[in-house]
Amino acid sequence: MTSREKILASVKANKPSFLELPVISAFEGDGSIERFKTVLAGIGGHAIEIDSKTDCQGVIDTHYSDLKNVASKLVKASVEIDINTSKEVLEQVDLAVIDGIIGVAENGAIWIPEVNMINRALPFITQHLVLVLDKTYIVANMHEAYKKLDTIGNYGAFIAGPSKTADIEQSLVIGAHGARSMMVILY
Amino acid sequence: MNHPALAEKFAKDFNRTTWHDETLWFVRQKRDRAIYPIPEFQELRLLASQIKDHTLSNLDNYLLQFEENAIKNGVKVHWAADGEEHNRIVLDIIRNASSIKGKTGPIKMVKSKSMLTEECHLNPFLQKNGVEVVDTDLGERIVQFRNEPPSHIVMPAIHLKKEDVGETFHEHLGTPKGEKDPQALTEAARQHLRQKFVEADVALTGVNFAVAETGSFVVCTNEGNADLGVNLANVHIACMGMEKLIPKVEHLSVFIRLLARSATGQPVTTYTSHFTKPADGKEMHIVIVDNGRTQQLGRSDFRNSLKCIRCGACMNTCPVYRRSGGHSYDFTVPGPIGAILSPNIDLHKYSSLPFASTLCGSCSDVCPVKIDIHVQLYKWRQVVSKENELPAAKKWGMKGLAKMLAMPKVYDLGGKVARSALRILPHGMTHAQSMNPWAKARELPDAPKQSFKEWYSKNKKS
Repeated sequence: MTSREKILASVKANKPSFLELPVISAFEGDGSIERFKTVLAGIGGHAIEIDSKTDCQGVIDTHYSDLKNVASKLVKASVEIDINTSKEVLEQVDLAVIDGIIGVAENGAIWIPEVNMINRALPFITQHLVLVLDKTYIVANMHEAYKKLDTIGNYGAFIAGPSKTADIEQSLVIGAHGARSMMVILY
Repeated sequence: MNHPALAEKFAKDFNRTTWHDETLWFVRQKRDRAIYPIPEFQELRLLASQIKDHTLSNLDNYLLQFEENAIKNGVKVHWAADGEEHNRIVLDIIRNASSIKGKTGPIKMVKSKSMLTEECHLNPFLQKNGVEVVDTDLGERIVQFRNEPPSHIVMPAIHLKKEDVGETFHEHLGTPKGEKDPQALTEAARQHLRQKFVEADVALTGVNFAVAETGSFVVCTNEGNADLGVNLANVHIACMGMEKLIPKVEHLSVFIRLLARSATGQPVTTYTSHFTKPADGKEMHIVIVDNGRTQQLGRSDFRNSLKCIRCGACMNTCPVYRRSGGHSYDFTVPGPIGAILSPNIDLHKYSSLPFASTLCGSCSDVCPVKIDIHVQLYKWRQVVSKENELPAAKKWGMKGLAKMLAMPKVYDLGGKVARSALRILPHGMTHAQSMNPWAKARELPDAPKQSFKEWYSKNKKS
């Protein structure tokens, strides 16, 4: 018998009698832009509202003029990134500007599907991260977020604020391995 | 060494013990602040518990469904009955990977947090076989440098002060002597580990949740180390205990809302990553591990422990864990949950752990999946006693006491003798630690002149 067969047989023999799956009721909550912004600020990110998506370039020019290597499909890019870009090039990215799909007001998270990442490593290896989000796509909580996603796709992530750690004496340090800062542009 | 002996060692440094206690309690308070604004939090705990109950009651079918969907996604699925087989599978995957085969020089692996691989002792095994293993979670990297096991499942280096970390980094990363600023130390680790991420041939991650209906799995981190490792390396190996399964994507919402709030008091971890298919040209493997879990599933009193989502809330709240430190448990998962998981693995070795509790029940109160931890601790004590694993003093003490309590006359006499003895004998003798371990940090009360029984018979209305 293979381990697979052994394990499955043993589970079958040892599992308790069948218990029903509960129904998850519809949990509602505050899905406002204000709540999203407050929660995001609490986890080290910050949000800026603009009138139209075309104003993104202006925001980037104002806030990140000192950053050299910019990767993006939304604003002017200075490094070309695709799925085959080498690690050595990815490592040099200072700023990535990426489209988010859904924002979650209760925790400040934004869903990024693989296709928006340009390269799977980009949102994580970039020194600074900007996510651009249609503010009508902010929902109250995780239940609504998963409902709104048609599919979780091949790969995707909720990203909530910049990378952080508190592994040394519980002192919060922003910028562990991933982005050192994270801004959300709401349009 | 058993828990009391190891705890005594930890508690010798009074200031450090107090600091440890307060630090963990601070995390517990953060947890409270994170859950109070969620009016449905208790309902979510109940749902999470019921979803896990259901999943365990149908686990074989969900495992099959998960496997079938993962294979459809182009993921290779492996099954390991125990830790040894798990380690062998991981090594085989590495050696047979097309991107690694024929590589000259050492094979390099980056690992994000996985308590399962700690449980299986994967690191020493791989290192013995020529694989360079780098733990990339900051806390895990710190304890890896120091050649120590993690002392907490979410905060692996919580037993260390920043001065300790500064020393370690000075030795291994060349930071200036005396540097203890967490910001500077984290930056040094960032630079050091970025290089490791870029060089890695293979990335290994744990699994927080595995979804049967899609064959996907979810990994939660704050640092971003799991995604960085996986997306830069050509091979991704995800190792999961079989109890990580949940039926559907919609169930993730319940668990994601509970996990970080319970663990660190955050509304959510920074990264909640959903892996379904490997990137083009890359390999993704899942290793499903039993290692005692099916046995625990068969123990009706204890199978509830398999619902654990490894948030660590029971540790942060436990008065014994906070004052004895994670290493005093000498088991991969310390704290109250470790004390009910470990006897299943080795009752003899871990027989003292179910007693590392005041049975106050705080662990059960904070558990996001409503495991009756303190009840199971109590039940394991019965098993330990039945299997003759109690220390001699406790065993014969209990036996003697049981005899005495069954004989009222002897009991009355014993009480009388004890009351006079307490009054007459010097403090040094009644509180001698070798004879009365109870009095180690406690004072006995003044002995009353009479027992309640004597008082009652004198005062009752005839």
